[in-house]
Amino acid sequence: MAAFTVIDHEELTGSVASWTSTTIPSSYDHLLLEVSARQDGSYHAVNCYFTVNGAVDYGNTNLTASTSTPASARAAGYDYIDVMHTPAASATADTFGAISVWIPNYANTANFKPMIMRAASENASTTNAQWNLALVAGLWNSTAAITSITLDAYGSDNFVQYSTFTLYGVTGA
Amino acid sequence: MAVIEAIATTYLEADAASVTFSGIPTTYEHLQIRMSSRNTLASTTGNPTLEFNGTAGTAYSSHSMNAFNTTPDSDSSETGDASMLTPKQTTGATADAADFASAIIDILDYRNANKNTTVMAISGSGITTAVPFVSFASGLFDDKTVITSIKLDSNGSWMRGSEFTLFGLASS
Repeated sequence: MAAFTVIDHEELTGSVASWTSTTIPSSYDHLLLEVSARQDGSYHAVNCYFTVNGAVDYGNTNLTASTSTPASARAAGYDYIDVMHTPAASATADTFGAISVWIPNYANTANFKPMIMRAASENASTTNAQWNLALVAGLWNSTAAITSITLDAYGSDNFVQYSTFTLYGVTGA
Repeated sequence: MAVIEAIATTYLEADAASVTFSGIPTTYEHLQIRMSSRNTLASTTGNPTLEFNGTAGTAYSSHSMNAFNTTPDSDSSETGDASMLTPKQTTGATADAADFASAIIDILDYRNANKNTTVMAISGSGITTAVPFVSFASGLFDDKTVITSIKLDSNGSWMRGSEFTLFGLASS
């Protein structure tokens, strides 16, 4: 059996406020989400909102940089994880950010669901807050299996055309 | 076709200034480079760079957040460069003998001619007697040309025993 299987892939043909992969089968061991996205908000870099199953009660610990001094923080009790950024309208034209989310043992019903996230929002700029890097340890405090993943754009913004979302199922031997 | 395939591996039997993957097919969605490397520079660390499609000029920008030994910092000083400063670091010749740094470089949607090429890379080495480091870096190649070659320049010389593998990740 192949170790990696494509569950879902979409390249946007227009702007959308949200991307969701539904009916994720429970037949894999892990999930990997790879995103290349840009938003149309008026800033250089904006966050997006990651959720699974449309649920609440997420926590995260993160290490980020958008200035010359990295910062760390943690949050709990939210209905999303919003640390990951993408370039937005004021960033260098045609520049899309990279996001990778690894979710181990997503279908088990005994444990909470951890996830490791990496996000890079590039821009040809040396100005503070016009670029963003993030490493995030996320947790959904639920023993339910993950059956859907949603990524929402910031506020009333949209993900723009050519943004891509690829969800892989990963199987062990 | 498997979803993930090794496109090419280069294992250095002798020191080399750079390693280039060329003729990269456009049949994948994403690319990933996994590397184990050491630089011959007389330093604890080396500063590798990436160059795409043989294009130098001023099209590259880079950012990073890092920890060198016990000191964290981040770097946003690089725009208009001739190459991309990713991965941020590798080990140098004065690091512990046989200490090779590791790095994973993700290049998403490399064949999309509507997008500039962006990269994110994580790298590190737990050097025991010199300066250990861990880095998360990103880079921008302000050019929408489909990526067909990638040059990993050591800015010195990659040491014999360094190894570089290019993977392709499909989307169907």
